[in-house]
Amino acid sequence: MTHETAQPGLWAWAQRTSVEQLHIRLESFIVLIVLSTVMAVLSPFFLSLSNFLNILLATSTIGVLAIAATYVIGSGGLDLSLGSVMGLSGVAGAYVAVNLGAPSPIGLAACILAGAAAGYVNGQLITRAFVPAFIVTLGMLGLARGLALVISDGRVIYGLPAVMVYVGQGRPLGIPMPVIIFVVTAIVAHCVLAYSKFGRHTMALGDSESAARAAGIRVERHRRVLYTLSGALAGLAGMLFMARINSGDPTAGLNYELTAITAAIIGGTNLFGGRGSILGTMIGALIMGVLQNGLNLLAVQSYYQQMAIGAVLILAVFIDQYQVRKESRV
Amino acid sequence: MQPFVAKINRFTLTLGVAMAFAAPAIAEDGEYGVLMKTLANPFWGAMSQGVEDGAKEAGVKYFLQAAESDQAAEPQLNLCNTMLERKPVAMITAAINSTNLLPCLKAAQDAGIKVVDLDGNLDQAVLDKEGIKITFRIGSDNVAAGGQGADYLVEKLGKDAKGPVLVIEGLSGNVTGQRRAQGFAARLKELAPGLEVVASLPGDWDRGKAASITNDILTRNPDLVGIFAANDGMALGAVEAVYAAGKGDQVTIIGVDGNSDAVKSIKDGRLNASVAQLPYLVGKQAVENVKKAIAGESITADIAVPTLVLTKDVLDAGKEPMLQYVK
Repeated sequence: MTHETAQPGLWAWAQRTSVEQLHIRLESFIVLIVLSTVMAVLSPFFLSLSNFLNILLATSTIGVLAIAATYVIGSGGLDLSLGSVMGLSGVAGAYVAVNLGAPSPIGLAACILAGAAAGYVNGQLITRAFVPAFIVTLGMLGLARGLALVISDGRVIYGLPAVMVYVGQGRPLGIPMPVIIFVVTAIVAHCVLAYSKFGRHTMALGDSESAARAAGIRVERHRRVLYTLSGALAGLAGMLFMARINSGDPTAGLNYELTAITAAIIGGTNLFGGRGSILGTMIGALIMGVLQNGLNLLAVQSYYQQMAIGAVLILAVFIDQYQVRKESRV
Repeated sequence: MQPFVAKINRFTLTLGVAMAFAAPAIAEDGEYGVLMKTLANPFWGAMSQGVEDGAKEAGVKYFLQAAESDQAAEPQLNLCNTMLERKPVAMITAAINSTNLLPCLKAAQDAGIKVVDLDGNLDQAVLDKEGIKITFRIGSDNVAAGGQGADYLVEKLGKDAKGPVLVIEGLSGNVTGQRRAQGFAARLKELAPGLEVVASLPGDWDRGKAASITNDILTRNPDLVGIFAANDGMALGAVEAVYAAGKGDQVTIIGVDGNSDAVKSIKDGRLNASVAQLPYLVGKQAVENVKKAIAGESITADIAVPTLVLTKDVLDAGKEPMLQYVK
């Protein structure tokens, strides 16, 4: 690759706009477009409204978890319990609604609350007991999954009330409810992270904790809020899947934490904190969604899909590092 | 501009490599969609072989896909939805659990696609509540398979035998494993009350976990006389643990599946028996019956494919006609 010189015009504007104002990596967006084009050429089924909604529906749970991952990783933390908490919350909601006979709104709230509770415990242990986030959330990964299996006796809890099922299977205006909830959540999360004090503080924490402390940010309290938020979002993801299949499945979200982290990293979140954007993460999640959907349409074995996603992850970060190193040389 | 283009090219090149595995797929009329749990298991491998041969003989087109593991419930649902985009005439599905595919099966039914329950993982009561009508269900009778395991144990040890027996279940909450374990325990109680099930523990379909459970129980019950494991992988784990403890002659071990590893172990005289399912036959007959159903013939709602107890004697004699289907 030749040395890049400053270029006037549209390209420079696009680069400045993308990086500085939207906080995304232009490359990942272009990869998404290229990937979609390739899939559209290869498969006659790819380009249709129903398939587009299908991709968004398939991305909805991972997408919500990836939002949580962006906040936590952006703040210099890590949450490995996302997938397990997602499973726990779906079981909790189904248990409250089916076994205890609570009305739908309480069942839905139970999902989010169960998730938030697990996240709150994570935050408390990390900030008050001084156990590293990696260890605490790894422990929670086992705790939450085990608890989900205990509550449900290892079986799916089937037969939710109608309103809960609507959240997963309803289609107002032809758009699946989980897609609507996912997109709205993503927009709110993007605005909060990019434009609010809370969002700026989150990234400041990841950039330099000591500087953040010096600037008067209440670091520990902020971290506790972040982990609780992360748990609540995992609870929301659990709620979406539970409602989709009309049952709480204790094995839901198995290994999803890693997929969510992958989406965030492809989308430009810095693994060591200080940088990240929800818009970027959504592009990362969609890259994986399009890749999976396209390869499924082409009837390619799922083994290859895992290889492709792994390759994309490493490449995305390689390109990122290449940019950073080149800029520092200039 | 140039460097940027070069950069993107490098990216797309790699993606191209990742996608070079894919050949352009064109919509075929009258395709069958076949959705399995996973292919990382000889059982499902044999079943897809049966589907392939059945489709060849029947002259039908099909496309077969599977989730990455037999615990990937949501990925399997997403895969199922994607398969519907290809508008198959039938969906032959082996669901990971009784509910994860419900929205997809509903959508298939609404689109006029015939739905078949491969391997019997769907729950009829749930299907009735959801208003889903499946064309037929095909698979092995797992309760009977467990019962055959008990038959073999009693035949070997005698009706008046006494002693502790260990049951290694499948994954907690998995219907297949539950049916096998329950079928075994119920039949054993009926035939030989002296053989007592002292522990029934989930081995999660995992060879290593089954070995650990066996070790623990051998510590507690050194006079163990029998082990029934809900699949061959776990039975083979139990075999290793029993032989390592020097109790190979004392403990009779029975698995379920009849997979190639188990057959090898039985021939070597280590594993005592495996209740062989005939997944090859299940796959083959599934396709054949779908073709009949589409042609308008009426099909039995529940098609039970027989199971067969494999022992060293049966394998060495090689006279059993069903043996050709043990893959």
